Amino acid sequence: MINATLSSAQAVVGAGQAILKLNGINKSFGALAAVRNLTLEIGRHEVVGLIGENGAGKSTLLKILTGVHQPDTGTIEVNGRGARFRSPLDAQGYGLGIVHQEQSLFTNLSVAENIVMGASADGAAATRGGVYRWGAINAEAQEVLSRIGSTIDPQSIVGDLTFAQRQMVEIARTIHVARRTAERNGGAPLVILDEPTSVLEKAEAEVLEQEIAKLRHLGSVIFVSHRLEEVLRICDRFVVMRHGEIVADQPTAGANESDLFRLMIGQDMQAKPKAATGDTKAKAVLTVNGLTRQGAYNNVSLTARAGRVTAIVGAFRSGREELCRTLFGAEDFDRGSFEIADKPVGRWSVRRAIKAGVAYLPAERGVEGVVGGLTAARNLTLAHPGAGRRFGFLSPLRRRRLAEGWFERLDVRPRQPGLELERFSGGNQQKVALAKWLLGRPKVLILDHPLRGLDPGASATVNQRIRDACAMGAAVILLADTLEEALELGHDILVMRDGAVSARFDLSYDTPTTRDLLEKMV
Amino acid sequence: MTSAPDLRPPSRPIKAAARFAKWQGRLAELAILCGIVLIFSVINPSNFPTVSNFNTILNNAAIPAILGVGASFVVLTGRIDLSIEGVMGAAGMTFVLLSANSRETMDLGWLALPIALALGAALGALTGAIHVVAKVPSFIVSLGMWYIGLGVAAMLFGYEMIPFLSNEAAVAWPTQTPLGVPNSFLVALLVVAAGWAIERYTRLGRFAYAIGNNEGVARLTGIAVGRYVVALFALAGVCSALAGVMGSLALGAGAANVGIGMLFLTLAAIVIGGTPLSGGKGGVLRTLVGVLILSTLYNGLILSGVDPSIQSGVSGLVLVAAVIVAGWPHRNRLKVFK
Repeated sequence: MINATLSSAQAVVGAGQAILKLNGINKSFGALAAVRNLTLEIGRHEVVGLIGENGAGKSTLLKILTGVHQPDTGTIEVNGRGARFRSPLDAQGYGLGIVHQEQSLFTNLSVAENIVMGASADGAAATRGGVYRWGAINAEAQEVLSRIGSTIDPQSIVGDLTFAQRQMVEIARTIHVARRTAERNGGAPLVILDEPTSVLEKAEAEVLEQEIAKLRHLGSVIFVSHRLEEVLRICDRFVVMRHGEIVADQPTAGANESDLFRLMIGQDMQAKPKAATGDTKAKAVLTVNGLTRQGAYNNVSLTARAGRVTAIVGAFRSGREELCRTLFGAEDFDRGSFEIADKPVGRWSVRRAIKAGVAYLPAERGVEGVVGGLTAARNLTLAHPGAGRRFGFLSPLRRRRLAEGWFERLDVRPRQPGLELERFSGGNQQKVALAKWLLGRPKVLILDHPLRGLDPGASATVNQRIRDACAMGAAVILLADTLEEALELGHDILVMRDGAVSARFDLSYDTPTTRDLLEKMV
Repeated sequence: MTSAPDLRPPSRPIKAAARFAKWQGRLAELAILCGIVLIFSVINPSNFPTVSNFNTILNNAAIPAILGVGASFVVLTGRIDLSIEGVMGAAGMTFVLLSANSRETMDLGWLALPIALALGAALGALTGAIHVVAKVPSFIVSLGMWYIGLGVAAMLFGYEMIPFLSNEAAVAWPTQTPLGVPNSFLVALLVVAAGWAIERYTRLGRFAYAIGNNEGVARLTGIAVGRYVVALFALAGVCSALAGVMGSLALGAGAANVGIGMLFLTLAAIVIGGTPLSGGKGGVLRTLVGVLILSTLYNGLILSGVDPSIQSGVSGLVLVAAVIVAGWPHRNRLKVFK
């Protein structure tokens, strides 16, 4: 540990020359300013940690650095010269490489091909006149792998490797390409690692962590992680983003995890006691016992009671989305069981789930929640056509009356159920999607980010309907957008981390703060 | 630190086991081929397992094998080439009309072959280019090119007499067996060998695998996906043209429908051999085995006195069964929520 601190200090001292400079970068999407007046410098052989909550602007920054997005204003300098990234290939050409959360390897090809492919695509590698020289390719890959201290066989097929090994191959490839291009331009490579350890087991992550520390000798690293202790261990410096701005940029030496927490969330919010609302003794509508889906969530148990909102919070890859989709029959599970209204669930599918009284409001409204080309009234009766039925046939008149009633109750505007749903605004589409499930009087109502992209007025209406559904005896499972939302709407809060439940709060007597929740999430 | 995970390469026995599993996967289709041969040999001990019958099977396998090499590369990228029969017709007719024939149109001698192949390459490249530039699914473009090819052949044919090839030595050459197997099959083997070399040792072949595995990543890696796709379609066109020439030699005459029935046979052989239509896996050697399975099956059924109308049903069933077996491990992944 002492050694690590020493070498970190040296690296900072030697980092006089900036390899990357961002000056006053702004980027907006519509009215939303994703990145505001961002100024950042990365030195040679420096490892910089980048942290921030979901939606803090990290991803936008990374996309600007990799040429996916172009900044609205501001300049980028690489090795002291102005640069402009019009495409991902452009950014690669400047010696910038990124290792994504989702792996981008060719699983059907060998490790060596994957590592050398990026470099060979520009015609400079171990091919001659379009013909592969396997010996040279394998040797080149072997050299890169041993340089980063990996012992993976370059001839093995990527699809046969473990996830951690693939991550190493990914890093090796990125480093290799970045080095080649940087050398050609007389600069040094910069590698961005976007949460490379988030999907790994702890022990695997620790090995990977050591490998990352070694990358310092080859070039500079931007390390994005939600594991704060990792950032403190690996990085020379850390940068905290919040609401699109950099709110802290300081050496890791002397900082501790709780400093980082404080900087990440800013204003702390505490749950208000809600002893009056919700009934702790209410009937359990949904009981989940040790449910497991390999690679998504592990041994999850929970009880959702009638009239109560169970909010599940968690970071990226916490497994909470997959869990909800399983409950709705849209994804399989491997082990465990769950019962709905005391009936154990056997074979499970979306059809069976709807029959049993489960409703699911998906996050991807446009893709999964509404059928844009159908009228609002038809959308409303999609899941429960029976409500608009007369003598066994679908009755347009009944459907219309039903829709008018719901339009009134949810304040859908304009009040024209006969209009195609795609012509309504997002907030009003969401109201219709919600009404679609509410009219079936669901026993379990699963809401996947129900307020995403809604304006305050629409949010208030949707919130009120969620409370109404509770009052009618539904058990609500809520995947909230923000921790504040979870604290405000939830009666019970379940915190998930890396697929497992890491904490439970009953807001009838617990009063956790947003920071308490965040600590259990990351 | 608790038990460190093993980032070292797997130990020798595991490696050996993996290698065996890999071979087992490759051998499965060969085992099926041997099984079919064995079964028909038992049913028809006098007719089926004879040298002359095996030569018939190999001769019948030659054209689909040639077609299969080109089509495999297209399928490896996750695309499909339905223009096979059309390109065969156009190139075959071109070859006949440029060779010594009964209509005495023109006799360029051996030059007729490269010209026919060039026409195939051009038609294939055109298919690929329209697909890439206009972003039309290859399915639709090549379906259109099928009928364009037939149209070109019909136009060349005109309203005159059928053009019979005059060079009888050339017409007889494919079925002769100076080396023990029919010359036509030797040509097919050469094409398969060339295809294998391209698949294994050239950027064109390796990038076909990369594109088929993950096209988005291929683009981000800097692979000029469009250009490679056009080149692969052109390669498929050359193969189709060669098959058209071989088919015309077998007929001894020019006919627009020289390739009739070949599309199903070729695509079925590719899939049965173990190259999924989703791309990224398989290869030309597998396709050769697939072709041999199907042509053996056809031949055996005929010798067993099975009605030709049932044969077609049987080959359809074999295809469906092969796809089910191949897709079995992935059936859960096909279950999408939408």
